[in-house]
Amino acid sequence: MPAGKRRDGLRRVSPTPYLFLLPALLLFVIFRVYPLVNGLWLSFTNARLGRAEYTFVGLSNYEKLLDDSRFLLSLVNTAYYTVASTLPILALPLLLAVVLNRGVGFKAMLRGAFFFPFTLSVVTVGLTWLWLLDPVVGPFNYYLQQMGFPVRSLLADPQTAMWGIVLTSVWWVTGYYLVIYLAGLQDIPHHLYEAAAIDGASAWRSFVSITLPLLRPVFLFVFVIHIIGSFQIFGQVFIMTQGGPGDATRTVVQHLYEAAFQNLFQFGSASAMAWVLFAVILVFSLIQFRILRGHAEY
Amino acid sequence: MNNHPAEMTRRRFLASTAVIGATTLLGPSGHMASAQGPKPTISFWNGLTGADGKVMGELIGQFTKETGIQVELQMIEWLNLYAKLQVSTPAGEGPDVCLVHTVEVPHFAGDGILDPIDDRMLASKGFRGEDYLPSPWNGGTYQGKRYTIPLDVPQHILFMNAKLLKDAGLVNADGSPKVPGSKDELIQMATRLTRGDVFGFSIGTTGVGRYTWGFHNLLWQNGTNIFTPDLKKSALADPAAIEVAEFWGSLYTTYKIAPPSNASARDAFIAGKLAMWIAGSWNFTGLRDAKVDFAVAPVPKIFKQPTVWTIPHQFSFPKPKAQDAAKREAAWSMIRWITDHVAEWTLRAGQVSASRKSHSDPRITGDPVLRTLLSQGPNWQNGQPAPKWVAAENLTRPQIESVYIGQKNAKAAMEELARQINALPD
Repeated sequence: MPAGKRRDGLRRVSPTPYLFLLPALLLFVIFRVYPLVNGLWLSFTNARLGRAEYTFVGLSNYEKLLDDSRFLLSLVNTAYYTVASTLPILALPLLLAVVLNRGVGFKAMLRGAFFFPFTLSVVTVGLTWLWLLDPVVGPFNYYLQQMGFPVRSLLADPQTAMWGIVLTSVWWVTGYYLVIYLAGLQDIPHHLYEAAAIDGASAWRSFVSITLPLLRPVFLFVFVIHIIGSFQIFGQVFIMTQGGPGDATRTVVQHLYEAAFQNLFQFGSASAMAWVLFAVILVFSLIQFRILRGHAEY
Repeated sequence: MNNHPAEMTRRRFLASTAVIGATTLLGPSGHMASAQGPKPTISFWNGLTGADGKVMGELIGQFTKETGIQVELQMIEWLNLYAKLQVSTPAGEGPDVCLVHTVEVPHFAGDGILDPIDDRMLASKGFRGEDYLPSPWNGGTYQGKRYTIPLDVPQHILFMNAKLLKDAGLVNADGSPKVPGSKDELIQMATRLTRGDVFGFSIGTTGVGRYTWGFHNLLWQNGTNIFTPDLKKSALADPAAIEVAEFWGSLYTTYKIAPPSNASARDAFIAGKLAMWIAGSWNFTGLRDAKVDFAVAPVPKIFKQPTVWTIPHQFSFPKPKAQDAAKREAAWSMIRWITDHVAEWTLRAGQVSASRKSHSDPRITGDPVLRTLLSQGPNWQNGQPAPKWVAAENLTRPQIESVYIGQKNAKAAMEELARQINALPD
């Protein structure tokens, strides 16, 4: 090999870019990859936090999950929450974004108002809604009574408790998705709507044939982020119902948290739950990408 | 080379004496130098996140002012505090002193998180069992070893809304609110008091349907418990526990005298929408601040015995990676100081002390609530010394809530709960 070519080859593997990448890579490995791999290892052990000794138990933790009726119920509840919250969280911010994008008055103020709940922590949101929905002293029931309706305890009824959580989540995150939809809407070239108008298309027709298809990448983003977030729901449940009434709103992360931090610090078992949850989310994300992947150029 | 043992010559004797003398003289002076040097800073974690935390902060401030020992206070909500303690102590990042509830002692002691306390050390610091009430004092031991020193005795008490009882005509000849003396009387009175959006009776603070501490109180009154006396299996499938669960469920579903399971009984009581309320003693200073017109009475005897649920706070020493004698000494000083000033704690935080010393303080005996709390002393009971107690309590919540709202019948729920508790890992 000629010497010049060898020098070119050496230049191509110059370590400089890798050195620049190294700090971020190190942090990523220490704080992301290592916990992930360690969690996988723990899931095959009977590890308990605070106890130095633990042993390899193979797939025992995963087998126990199959017999854990509360874990299976928490999976069902999480799926129920995900399905129940998806349509309102996809549709409501889109509706508001379309309205705001049309140039209504006080646009900036309304956008700020809708976004404001998202700036609050989940604890603040949970405690606020817990009080609003309190069956004895909460304003929700007070106004129901004033209007002549019977008092309802949304969070104390297993049939409606999850809907109380959905309501809270929708209120909390609508502003965030609204901003994303708005950015997507503003990215659609205006001349497409002008051409459609010249061709006599109605507003609805323009929405269906231009807006929705061209928002597809935004939909994909919102959909994937929402589904991942839904499977990981914890804060609202922990604050508002603690998984109750009974186990009606118990979700996977709630169950995992209790195993890891409340019920004898069973890190082995909790890690197995985390990996099952990871697998579920991964499968759903791949399906979504496959279904919604399409051309985004225009 | 001289292989003979050294002989004690005059010169050697003088030299030895000089060395011993110098050591003797320098020893104490060295010790004094360190004692007079900068005082150590100690860390004190607790879960006093309410109004009592402010009081503890003020007392600690006074302690620092008097002793020069700095205390880094961390007040973390109890559940998170325990998780943090379990994680940080083995890593050598635990606090020098931590306040824990009695029921947490067995599992923290069993997991090696807490340092055992030597009896001689305890005595040398002036802590004697006879100075304490037996229930909280005995709660500080696990498997024959002492791990904690009790501070106070949070407990249940019956709060009564004076106006609501008066309006319902449930008053004695002297105008004081009538106190229910039995389960039947309690239900009769509560039924009379329940009108519109006002409820007659409730046990618990927030989320009343899943208030395990109230459920435990009733279990104890009925002579049963979470575990059998040998702590080997759950006793919740026994008829006495099922009877308690049936009563628990009847409050909301049959008699309709109690608020829905997720209600905040505290807010309802303050708003005048709850007449009789069994709840923790820590609520009473808040009721006074809110200017609620209330009276108190000992927890009524609803089942066989008038047992009162308690959950004493205990000082503990989380096990450090390396012992620091100066810090441990400072930690002892702080515990001693707070114990000596416990009357202030009782008066300002509303928690009756575990030590008897302050019980005759006229400021305490003159307060009707504190007096009532003290009068319950003979009926106090703690959780069982079982490492699985807290985990069992977590499993209890959803089951008793299912019974409360009528989703499950009492027998099925208790049998399922007993199965779940028995399946907990060792």
